[in-house]
Amino acid sequence: MSELNAALEHPTYNYKVIRQFAIMTVVWGIVGMLVGVLIAAQLAWPQLNPGVEWLHFGRLRPLHTNAVIFAFGGCALFATSYYVVQRTCQVRLVSDKLAAFTFWGWQAVIVAAAITLPLGYTTSKEYAELEWPIDILIAVVWVVYAIVFFGTVAKRKVHHIYVANWFYGAFIIAVAVLHILNSMEVPVSMTKSYSVYAGTVDAMVQWWYGHNAVGFFLTAGFLGMMYYFVPKQAERPVYSYRLSIVHFWALVAVYIWAGPHHLHYTALPDWAQSLGMVMSLILLAPSWGGMINGMMTLSGAWHKLRTDPILRFLVVSLSFYGMSTFEGPMMSIKTVNALSHYTDWTIGHVHSGALGWVAMISIGSLYHLIPVLFNKERMYSVDLINVHFWMSTIGTVLYIAAMWVNGIMQGLMWRAYNQDGTLTYSFVESVAASHPGYMVRVLGGGIFFAGMLVMAYNVYMTTRRDVAAQPAAVASAA
Amino acid sequence: MIQHTFGLLVQPSAQWQRIAQLPENSFRTLLLYPWFLAILPAVAWYFGTTHVGWTVAGGDPQYLTAQSARTICILFYLTQIICLSVIGYFIHWMAETYGAESSITKGIIIASLAATPMFIAGLSGFYPILWLDMLIGIFSVCWAVYLIYLGIPILMGIPEERGFLFSSAVMGVALVILICLMAGAVILWDFGAAPAFTDHPS
Repeated sequence: MSELNAALEHPTYNYKVIRQFAIMTVVWGIVGMLVGVLIAAQLAWPQLNPGVEWLHFGRLRPLHTNAVIFAFGGCALFATSYYVVQRTCQVRLVSDKLAAFTFWGWQAVIVAAAITLPLGYTTSKEYAELEWPIDILIAVVWVVYAIVFFGTVAKRKVHHIYVANWFYGAFIIAVAVLHILNSMEVPVSMTKSYSVYAGTVDAMVQWWYGHNAVGFFLTAGFLGMMYYFVPKQAERPVYSYRLSIVHFWALVAVYIWAGPHHLHYTALPDWAQSLGMVMSLILLAPSWGGMINGMMTLSGAWHKLRTDPILRFLVVSLSFYGMSTFEGPMMSIKTVNALSHYTDWTIGHVHSGALGWVAMISIGSLYHLIPVLFNKERMYSVDLINVHFWMSTIGTVLYIAAMWVNGIMQGLMWRAYNQDGTLTYSFVESVAASHPGYMVRVLGGGIFFAGMLVMAYNVYMTTRRDVAAQPAAVASAA
Repeated sequence: MIQHTFGLLVQPSAQWQRIAQLPENSFRTLLLYPWFLAILPAVAWYFGTTHVGWTVAGGDPQYLTAQSARTICILFYLTQIICLSVIGYFIHWMAETYGAESSITKGIIIASLAATPMFIAGLSGFYPILWLDMLIGIFSVCWAVYLIYLGIPILMGIPEERGFLFSSAVMGVALVILICLMAGAVILWDFGAAPAFTDHPS
């Protein structure tokens, strides 16, 4: 490995840590999505809970969410942010040692999660399940990440700080604040702790964290990615730089207030719920600012779209981003939420963001990044990227469509009552009615997962020094 | 008008070509197309939910009361027209970006013709079996999407790769409208259009 790295060493930039994170993005993507497909199959066929507690849905579900968000998404963000900050500041990372520490530290967090979650150690806070020793490790790694990132920005050779770095920077700061405040807990043993907050306050802090994990980890960070890789791949400047600045500040200012929409019709004070709903509706504007800016940047690159499947990944990811950031505000309306909450509609919404936006923009960016990192002109096979594109799109559409149908149906069934005032359906009838949708979800998720395997093969062949890239296809079919 | 329905189902590419060559007057009469075809799903679901009924997980059949089904199906009919008009408007609105000649009429006609498979699939409402209707629905949506991708470059007279982006943008608009529809339906439910269930056919 050290030989390989020596041969690929860039004279100015630290590419080694980016290579490591980029490869682990693919690895953790496969692991996380495999667990996702497994638990989706468990919901469709409960016999797949074999009576082993480590493989139970309740323990694997947090493993799935942690693996795809923090391992897959996290590695993608580390890789791209280290790349973008070096390229746009035109300096090497401030410290190779600290950067290496963030890599090994982050992998240690992921491995610790993969061991403790199936064993049942959990704080029971959604998306913050990891117990306190791991929380401390995360905090340390994250602070070092901030030092490396902002240290590099500080010693930049260009005067201007490119907008992508603003998004990455906001993501790093906000996630540090969110993680530390939400993980305040009283340890009672090495493996168990209790939140310092109680009751409704605990719930509010949890969803302030939870929604901003979406807003900053899964949105601001990936918008940073979008603002670098979309103009790069389209070979066009950002459509409106001013819009990018305006929607950056709007996004940062508004997102932090939207959390209460996760707690509609709970013990949370009603005014807080309504505030959360209003802020969620306002959030549509800055979200669409980013989508429009990305789309307009791409829209002059028509001629490239036919031959460049990477560009297609970026276009479709922006479409899904636009769609899911429209859906989110709609679902935060209290009347709509009264039906949609606790149904599969929510899961469908999350995955239109997670598969359609986060995963697709990461995949597109990686296909741009990996040849650069391994000194190749392009990926081993452009045709396989195209195959992967269609698998991802079809998989996502099947997944979302199944969850929409299931979600609306469940919501309608739960609130349906007969003329004499009795409930029309029992809960278990709504579960039985959901079965076809669950099977379609396994199919869609399985196709998306299989696409990741295609990507892994393509990446492996690109990294091999003894294999040349396949000849570029001439105008592959649209 | 009916020949367009069959044409788009049997030989879509040739039919789009034929529609593109229609003289202005007969093209404009196609504006009536959605008004007729949207009747099919509305009537089918009215009949299916009030007379045939549906079962969940092997239970007794369920029905809607005739009165609530009537309200819902009238709203359903109007919703179809409104949605197609809005999509049509956006097709026209975006046409300039993609370098195509367009009018609102043209946009609405493209949207309505492309929706043909969904109108026809709406007939499955006569016999509401959840999984079967879902399969037919998914299939018809795929077909309609295919028709959009096929038809837009032909009717707009633009190169295929630009048509691909245009069609993708139209799909984006359609998705947003779908979400409005879902949210709107839930809100309407709260404002008096709630279904009333019964265990005997009307």
